[in-house]
Amino acid sequence: MTQPSSRALGPALILVLLVLPFVATNYWLHVAIVVLMNITYTVALCAVLRMGYLSLGHAGFIALGAYTSVVLSVRFGVSPWFGIVAAAAMSGAVAWGLGALTLRLRGIYFSLAVFAFGEIVVAIARAFDWLGGPSGIANVPRPSFFGIKLDTHFAFYWLAMVVAVAVVAFFARLEQTRFGATLLTLKTESSERLAESVGVDAAAHKTACFAMSCAAVGAMGAVHSMYLLFVNPQVFSFLMSTDLVIYAMIGGTTGFWGPVLGAGVLTALGEQLFSAGYWKTLVYALILMAVILVVPGGLTAVSGLWKRELAPRSGR
Amino acid sequence: MGLTLFLQALAIGVVNGALYILTALGLTLIYGILHIVNFAHGELYMLGAMLVYLLFVAMEWPLWAAVPVIVALSVLAGFAVERTIFRRLRGQWLQLLVATVGVSLIIQSVSWIAFGAQEKTVPSVLEGVLLLGSVRVPIERLAAASIAMVLVAILYLIVYRTRTGLAMRAIEEDEETARMPRVDTDRVAGIAVALGFALAALGGVFVAPIYSINPGMGLEAILMSFIIIIVGGLGSITGTVVAGLLIGIIQAVGALTLGAEAAHVLVFVAMIAMLVFRPQGLMGRVR
Repeated sequence: MTQPSSRALGPALILVLLVLPFVATNYWLHVAIVVLMNITYTVALCAVLRMGYLSLGHAGFIALGAYTSVVLSVRFGVSPWFGIVAAAAMSGAVAWGLGALTLRLRGIYFSLAVFAFGEIVVAIARAFDWLGGPSGIANVPRPSFFGIKLDTHFAFYWLAMVVAVAVVAFFARLEQTRFGATLLTLKTESSERLAESVGVDAAAHKTACFAMSCAAVGAMGAVHSMYLLFVNPQVFSFLMSTDLVIYAMIGGTTGFWGPVLGAGVLTALGEQLFSAGYWKTLVYALILMAVILVVPGGLTAVSGLWKRELAPRSGR
Repeated sequence: MGLTLFLQALAIGVVNGALYILTALGLTLIYGILHIVNFAHGELYMLGAMLVYLLFVAMEWPLWAAVPVIVALSVLAGFAVERTIFRRLRGQWLQLLVATVGVSLIIQSVSWIAFGAQEKTVPSVLEGVLLLGSVRVPIERLAAASIAMVLVAILYLIVYRTRTGLAMRAIEEDEETARMPRVDTDRVAGIAVALGFALAALGGVFVAPIYSINPGMGLEAILMSFIIIIVGGLGSITGTVVAGLLIGIIQAVGALTLGAEAAHVLVFVAMIAMLVFRPQGLMGRVR
């Protein structure tokens, strides 16, 4: 993030995002919306990964947000705008509770508990007819912006883009705060002890970070349900959680570009190449294994390695 | 709920629990040595069931030929996965965990492509129902659970009565120290993974005639197994056995009184309660 090249790339990216809806066809706007949603999810997932915890149930928190906003708007007629805020609050609050219980344990317990949580959210949605049961809830309303209903790809793009940019910018900024820097020190058991010995409340930091990550994916989950116009348990399966992990691990979990490029490139490719989900999963998983075994830090770590080891040194 | 109904649920719970234990035990065994939970484990259970369908139903092999072939294949798969993936990533817990998820996704998607999404059934091998007073237990399930218990006993003997088992326990205790009297860690890890894979595949073989099967069944199995090993205590064989029976019973009695989906939630609550009040599980040790 501090290299000059990245500094120029940031505004360029914003420019692309602003110009894109005026030049893209509806199909490409659809691809862009899906890419933006996945980038948001992956960036939020990486915030948890950076403090040394792997969430294998983020889809559960996306589902929690989506169902919260859909139930509010469809069952109670509440404004979808409020639904997005309520979704973030609900996912964040539940994550706070689950995190407080499980984050004090070693990483593996957390991964298992969150995995089980994701499956249970889906099981609950499937069990109760009030939540739509196995077939889900249809006719999800989209919000209006000053009288303009966001029912075209063009109009909806702006909603997805604004939420995505807000979340990505939030987590990029978080890294540079004292709070964000403290989170990085909690990555291993020994460094966590060290941080605690100088008075850091490790558990509170970790719980807060997990809650923020889940609030972010919950908000985007609400937007997701409005884009699809329905929710059902199949959308938020375990495969959604693993897709996010795959994007992060292939792109690289550190820095700004790893999760953004991992999610962006793979989602865009996936939308292009595969109509059947199984083939997509197979190809993604094969790429994942190749990356893990050859470059465990992800593809952006390769460029970092190149800069560190091979590029001519510029005296810092 | 009447006493008869309760005893009926209890019996079904014990039988189901015995079958859960087969998959969960391999996870515990692998955790003890690699300190990692193997997400691909449920897929071995699924492959065991699908291969019974392929060999016994589609290709009409006799069972006595099909089962040993399935066990041999899963043992080979265990050694192969340990050698090519687990060994290379030892010590990198994040990469290792994600790699087991990757293996799981590869096996699952290949199976969806190869076998299709159609539910498959394997005909019953043993007909009949055993009447214990007024409690009815299908003989097939009882037989499957009994064989499962025999396998658990054999695993106990391997872990507590053989040199390899001693090495496994030594590595679990302290890998560095275990290496000093020249314990071949790689070989022991390979054996543990192969044993675990074979147990999971056999679990799948036993449930094939009981439930309808499809390539997604591994995910359900791994979820139950994770909950069992958390409740039992990661790495504890006795804990896994006790927790497996307990979870089977909670689920069966819960399904009878609250419904199947609610029973699912109940089991999850049991796991969360365990994490809060006794994170090391029923029999686990604090590390």
